[in-house]
Amino acid sequence: MIVLRDVIQQFGGRIVLEIPELHFKSGRRYGLIGENGSGKTTLIRMLAGTSKPTSGRIEGLEGKIVGYLPQSPYAFSFSVLQNAALALDGHKDAKELTKKALHAVGMESLVDARGDRLSGGEAQRMALARVLVRSYDVLLLDEPTSSTDVRSMDLIENTLREYVQKTQCTLIFSTHSPAQAFRLADEVLYLEKGRLVEQGSAETLFHSPQDERTIAFLKHWSLNS
Amino acid sequence: MIKQVFELLFGADPELRQIIGVTLRMSVMSTLISALIGIPWGVAMGANQFKGKAILSRITNTLMGLPPVVAGLIVFLMLSRSGPLGKMSLLYSVPAMVIAQVVLISPIIAGMTANIVSIRAPSINETCAGIGISGWKRLLLTIKECRIPFVTTILAGFGRSIAEVGAVQMVGGNIQFKTRVMTTAIMMQTNMGRFELAVALGVVLLIISFIINSLVHRIQEQTQRDRTA
Repeated sequence: MIVLRDVIQQFGGRIVLEIPELHFKSGRRYGLIGENGSGKTTLIRMLAGTSKPTSGRIEGLEGKIVGYLPQSPYAFSFSVLQNAALALDGHKDAKELTKKALHAVGMESLVDARGDRLSGGEAQRMALARVLVRSYDVLLLDEPTSSTDVRSMDLIENTLREYVQKTQCTLIFSTHSPAQAFRLADEVLYLEKGRLVEQGSAETLFHSPQDERTIAFLKHWSLNS
Repeated sequence: MIKQVFELLFGADPELRQIIGVTLRMSVMSTLISALIGIPWGVAMGANQFKGKAILSRITNTLMGLPPVVAGLIVFLMLSRSGPLGKMSLLYSVPAMVIAQVVLISPIIAGMTANIVSIRAPSINETCAGIGISGWKRLLLTIKECRIPFVTTILAGFGRSIAEVGAVQMVGGNIQFKTRVMTTAIMMQTNMGRFELAVALGVVLLIISFIINSLVHRIQEQTQRDRTA
């Protein structure tokens, strides 16, 4: 289990995230929702270790293999296949595993294309394949489908479901779409202005939210979008 | 005068050829050494966050604007007989001019390199961290991604080197058939009223500058195309 205790993140004196206590149970899927600036990316970056909290502790990640897809992943100027195989350097089945991961995100026809010449959506799918080529204890995805079209989104969501089932990893992802959180997550966390407002099972949070702020946020969204 | 300029340019004037030869030798050597110093210096600054980065960055920016005569003075004092490197007897030689150029150009290459790397590094670092790539492998990937813009910085360094006059005049002494380069020769010939050689050298300098700028422009266009394609 991953536990955050009294975690505060400040940038330039401004508190961007403040979480007194939060638990992520092993093997479950968590969806973070909230508007821009709510602290989703900050929370994911802290869990990934690319940003250190100003104060507080994050426990339970010691010795764990953590995979992380940032919001703006870098597309290297070599081929899609080489890009996606980066995490498997030296692995004897690297090519086969990479092709499989690219196929899972619908990128099999672009294996020879240059990574830095892909469209935004294609680059995002390539980056996701690059992460999914290997297995992790914890997988962190920061808006993994923000640039993808609806058809690709279905494919990616199915791929993620299969991946989590196969690897039994803990999945923590952020999304702008509450509907996606509802489809993918076991538990959904609503953040606002750097604070965790409400947390619960996807079903409970969407059908009977308790906090007024959650109700106000969700009323703008349809679960079909 | 135009006729004489053309005769010098396309003739076999030994002094003109020698001046061009010394200039190119000095510029190529100083640019290569500056690149060997400036690129790792710039990569270290641009790719990493470390204590003292802000002050190092400020020092680099200050050195980027170092007046050539100040660089010339520093190297002159170092190489003069009573200076710490006086025993090497390098003053008024091409190596002395190369040293002065390196003092001037290394910070320029370092500063430009740091800017190039710092644009890409945050995204590369974040991406690599997510798939367990760190240390040298991450650094090599960063350098590989910046290789084309690095060529631009080296060409810019060469452009600066070939056009420099103050520092090379001070430590080279503008000695005929030894340390005279295009810029110092132009200055001297103009002072002497021998405009033909000065104009001929000016034309050569302009042609070299045009070639360098065309190369830089082409590389930048190619990089832009790659990024937006």
